[in-house]
This record gives sequence, structure tokens and C-alpha cells, in this order.
Amino acid sequence: MLKIKHFIQQSWLLIVSSFFFGLLIAIASAAWSPRIEQNKIDKLNRLTAALLPEAKHFIEIDTEIEIELAKGKRKKIKVYKAVSDADECVGWSFNAAGQGFQDKIELVVAVDKDFQSIAGFDVLASNETPGFGDKIKLPNWRNQFAGAPVEELKLVKTGDVKKIDSEIVAISGATVSSEAVVKIINNSITQIKKQMQEKGLIGNGK
Amino acid sequence: MANDTKVAAGLYKQTLLAGLWRENPVFRLLLGMCPTLAVTAAVKPALTMGLSVIFVLLCSNIVVSLMRNLLKPHLRILMFTLTIATFVTIADLFLKAFTPVMSETLGPYVPLIIVNCIIICRAEACASKNNLIVSIIDALGMGVGFTLTLCVLAGIRELLSTGEIFEVPVMPDAFVPWVAMSMPVGAFITLGLLLGLVNIISKKKRKT
Repeated sequence: MLKIKHFIQQSWLLIVSSFFFGLLIAIASAAWSPRIEQNKIDKLNRLTAALLPEAKHFIEIDTEIEIELAKGKRKKIKVYKAVSDADECVGWSFNAAGQGFQDKIELVVAVDKDFQSIAGFDVLASNETPGFGDKIKLPNWRNQFAGAPVEELKLVKTGDVKKIDSEIVAISGATVSSEAVVKIINNSITQIKKQMQEKGLIGNGK
Repeated sequence: MANDTKVAAGLYKQTLLAGLWRENPVFRLLLGMCPTLAVTAAVKPALTMGLSVIFVLLCSNIVVSLMRNLLKPHLRILMFTLTIATFVTIADLFLKAFTPVMSETLGPYVPLIIVNCIIICRAEACASKNNLIVSIIDALGMGVGFTLTLCVLAGIRELLSTGEIFEVPVMPDAFVPWVAMSMPVGAFITLGLLLGLVNIISKKKRKT
């Protein structure tokens, strides 16, 4: 009993203020989280719109797509259908994430309407080393993905960045980050394609 | 009575000026080096960082000063960190909601304000020993001092690395940008030179 009394005497301020501060954060979070979510959606739309210029708006598809990540973990993926003015499907986009050099890399990937070639990708969030790994955000590196076939991409150390094929030239000094991006795209794209074919959302290419 | 207010006014002025020059957190106390080196590649993020630090410093100094008589000595650091973490989280949420681009540029450095030694130092050295008014003035002095220093550093680096200030081009067309200035090496060199300059100035001041 004495011990409890001592404990309360010493720490009542800490306990009371923890509740109070928790409340403060909860209020701030409740007030601003819709805005933060909206910012994220706006950014996603802006990036995807740049990748699929013909698209006028994006519709989240109802079918659940789940992909397997490393170590057997499974993750639900949001896939968006890009629709043009004439209500035609012009492509698909989805978010994919994976481990980068220092932290998680979150990408938005866009593919054409038949899931035959990649339309491009952009970085939603990353924490790669400035000056090296964060070059994955630069257009001249990202451009070699635009038009690349959906099949397994391969990372090579030297090559022509301008040539569009399944060989991706790594950023010198940032092999880990380049590899991470290729791995994220490879892993998600083939699984999503398979599931979308199974569910009849896209033709099976025959 | 009149004498008392005079003494108090002198103390307030001294506290305010301490943060700006005599005890400038970056140049004289060498505290908060992490954001000083990391976010000063351009003026805009430096200014955002400085304003966030002013907000957190002000709030934490007010709270710590108000509860200074209730603090248990061995739990005080815990209380400081708790207070600081709360306001940093609020500042972080605010930046995410209203300036998403800046929030992304600053990245992990906003949450890292929690462990910024300037704020813990002011809570320990000033707010936990002084009344509310002195604590507020101290927070403003230190915060503004920190922000100004960051902006000076960022101004020099942005000017030399891109030829722009506040994203407005100011240099003549013939200017060749020094890309190195926007990299960590530029931060260290600029900070070192500025520290030397401040040392020379304050030495000369002491002699006269």
C-alpha cells in the first residue's frame, strides 16, 4: 500500500499530463486528418495523371487484390482504373511498397490497359540517401520504365538509359535503392496481373 | 517599486538579446546542429523548420514554466520530453495538413525536433527555474535566434548552389552554380566559416 502511495506521489503529474497531452494530440489529429488524407489522395491523383496523360479520372476497382510480399506476408493493394473522357479504360494504376535502403519506399505504378507495358512510376514516399538513393525520383531515371514490358525487369550496372527494354540501368552509387524499386515493381506487377486476369478484369493476352 | 520594474525590464531585454547574439543557440552554444546542417539547403525549408522550432520552444517553455514547482527532480527530463513530443507531433500534423510539400522536404527532421537539444536545454536551464514571462521571452529570443541563423546559412547555400534566394533567381546569367553547396559538404563549410566569422566579431567586441 505504501509503495502505491509513493508511486502516485512521484508520478501523478506525469500521468495527468500524459492524459492531457494525449487529448491535445487526439484533437489536433481529428481536426486535421481529413485534410492530410485529402492531400495524399491529391498527390496520388496528380502523380498518376502525369503518368497516364489520357486519363481524366480514376476509379478504385471493387475487386480485392492481394499480393504476397517477402516472408509470406500478404497485403491488400488498391488498384485504380484510369478512364478517359470517352469513358474508355486507358490504363491501370496501383500503389506498391517495399523496403528501400533506409526506409520503406512507396511507389505509384501505372500500366497500360492490357497490362502489357509499364506506363511509368513515381515515388509517393521515400527516405533514400540525398544525392544518391533519392535519384530514384528523377525523371531521367524513371523514364526508362515508361514503355518497358511488364515481364520480369532486370537490373544491370551499365547500359543505355534511353533504351526502353526490360533492362534497367542502376543508379551508380545507389544500387540498393535501384534494386529495391525494380523488386517492388516486379513483385507487385506480375501478381496483380495474374489476379486481374483470373477475375476477368483484363484479357489474358491470348 | 519603480526600481523593481526597471530591473525586470533590463532582465527581459537581456534574456531576449541573449538568444539573438550572446548565447545564440547555433553560433555560441553549438546546439541543434542536426537541423542546422540538414535542412539549410534552401531558405524555405529552413524558415519552416525555424518557425516550427519557435512554436515548440514557446509551448514547451510555457508548460514547463507553469509546472516547474510540481516537477520531481528525477522525473523532470521525462516530463520535458513528453511536453516537447506533444507539441512536435502537433506541429508535424499541422505541416502535413497545410504545407504537404514542405512537410515532405523536411521529412524526418520535423519529428526529430523532439530530440533537438535547444528545446531541452531551454526547458532545463531557463523554464524550470524562471517565471512565465522570462520563459516566454527566452523562448522567443532563442527561437528567433535559431531561425535567423538557419536562414542566414540557408541563404548563403541556396544563393551559391542555385543562384536563387527564396526560389527567386538573383544572380546574373553568367553565374555557375556550385552544386556542392547544396550537399552536406556545403553545410559543413558554410557553418565552419560563419562560426569563425562570429568568433572574430565577438573577440573584437570584447576588446573594445
